[in-house]
Amino acid sequence: MTKYGMVINLNRCIGCKTCVVACKMQNNVPMDMLWNRVINAGARSYDDAVGSYPNLIKQYTPVACQHCENPPCQAVCPVGATHTDEFGRVLIDYDVCIGCRICMAACPYNARVFNWSEPVRVPDFDYGQKEVAVRPVGVVEKCTLCAERTSEGKDPMCVSACPSRARTYGDLDDPESAISLLIRDAKPEHLLPEKGTSPKIYYIT
Amino acid sequence: MKKNVGFIIACSVLALLTAIGIGTWIYQISGGLGVTGMNNSVSWGLYTSMFMLFVGLSAGGLIVASAASIFGISKYKKVALPAVILSTVCIVAATGFVLVDLGGVARVFNLFVSPQWNSPLIWDVFVILLYLIINIVYLVLMSRSEKNERSLKVISGIALPIAILVHSITAWIFGLEIAKEGWYSSLMAPLFVVSAIDSGLALLLIVLSVLNKLKIFEVEKKLMASLAGLLATVIAIDAFLIFCELLTLGYPGGSGAELLSVMLTGQTSFLFWGEVFCLVVPFLILVFSVNRERTGLVVASSALVVVGVFFKRLWLLLTSFVIFNTAGAPGVTIGNSNIAEQTWLMQGMYMPTIVEIVIAIGIISLAALLYLILANRLLQTREHDIGLAATPSVAV
Repeated sequence: MTKYGMVINLNRCIGCKTCVVACKMQNNVPMDMLWNRVINAGARSYDDAVGSYPNLIKQYTPVACQHCENPPCQAVCPVGATHTDEFGRVLIDYDVCIGCRICMAACPYNARVFNWSEPVRVPDFDYGQKEVAVRPVGVVEKCTLCAERTSEGKDPMCVSACPSRARTYGDLDDPESAISLLIRDAKPEHLLPEKGTSPKIYYIT
Repeated sequence: MKKNVGFIIACSVLALLTAIGIGTWIYQISGGLGVTGMNNSVSWGLYTSMFMLFVGLSAGGLIVASAASIFGISKYKKVALPAVILSTVCIVAATGFVLVDLGGVARVFNLFVSPQWNSPLIWDVFVILLYLIINIVYLVLMSRSEKNERSLKVISGIALPIAILVHSITAWIFGLEIAKEGWYSSLMAPLFVVSAIDSGLALLLIVLSVLNKLKIFEVEKKLMASLAGLLATVIAIDAFLIFCELLTLGYPGGSGAELLSVMLTGQTSFLFWGEVFCLVVPFLILVFSVNRERTGLVVASSALVVVGVFFKRLWLLLTSFVIFNTAGAPGVTIGNSNIAEQTWLMQGMYMPTIVEIVIAIGIISLAALLYLILANRLLQTREHDIGLAATPSVAV
């Protein structure tokens, strides 16, 4: 079996948001929404440090769909639009989604975004990989782990684009893969482990 | 003849409001849900709150009516028919609020094509359908000229657990979501059922007094007083459960206390304290039996209870959206650029738009219109049959 996952080394992340833009470009994500965002936990505004001088820290956390092993969004979807594919990717079937948004309420990570209106794109045409489905108004969308790229054996765009090589992508089921070795070695953590979602995205802090 | 004119005017106004609501819904469908105040941070709003409210209003009336039939409380049996009509139209309204909330209403048939049985929403879809059918069967059985007491007892025996279930499942849509602090609680279902009974009973009291005024249906003062006493009791239970829930939420401190402060002093505090006011005042009025004899006070208290429970639906829904689990600057993307200039939100933000309010008024008007028509037909004929109507001229 193959189970794709990712480790993000927060000690290497410099908060440049290249992954944010790369994701938006690759996946034709319209204005006012992102599949992948970078946050400063505890800060009042972006790039703000946390703590009191001189004990300040500044940490960037990229957050997208965590591709949970136990996805709460998939459990509550009334029509089965959200599903886990054979590679462990949590995906949405846009033709099936009825836009009830219960999955948005169920996701602890605010990873899901909704097409509230006719999508606005700048420039005024579809961009990104042509195989990426264009989402209609009234459906939910989110990170697909770049399903179109990873199905071809490539890395997700955020992994390829990261200039500081903070992201490691690979097969969690292969014990000799780079990602499995990294997980054994660095003992990365999950976001919100108390929610019991068992994400396939790990963070080295 | 005077009543005829009033009835026709009421129906025309309600029909007009319904038509405006439908027109606005078509406008919403054509452009997407971006015309509402909902966004990526608060993905459910007025429609979902109204859905909860109307499922409750529906279940409440039916619980009282069917319990009367099952346990043989003969004095309450008299209001069973207006109560079941009320429950039918309220569940129609609740269904309406779900439909207008869907982003892809054209794909709604997927609920039946590919149901996913793990989802509390799919449980709700099917239990509401079942509930609607039972309501209609109940109505048909009760409005027959020769009533079969046995079949009535059987249908009310089915209706009571389904009415409780319908509201429990609605509660589980929220109560089973581990992502949302403040929702994820085993108390959610009992809390919803009790809120259903008090708001449903309150609406029933309002409707009964209106029917009495319109001379469509005669209700004794004594019966109103007795129902009002029941209402006071249920309000007390409701308040008790809310207190238990909030104490458990806030006591350990941490994120629960943070959420509680949003409710007590933050963004949703006016809804929370509004509800406290709207439950405490009617309780203090109705706890005294002298006040229960005065129809004006009973109706005013009931109106406050319905408003109070509406506030509760809003704070219950919205408070848990305010603080993000993975909080941090710059927050989450808004998604709906119609409502604000900014792209980022550090906390959940929501304010219903005119579109949402007009559509909500349209659905409520449709329910009221349906009620007037059904009440006028079923309650009138019933009075004729049992020879209560003084003059045949009251029939429309």
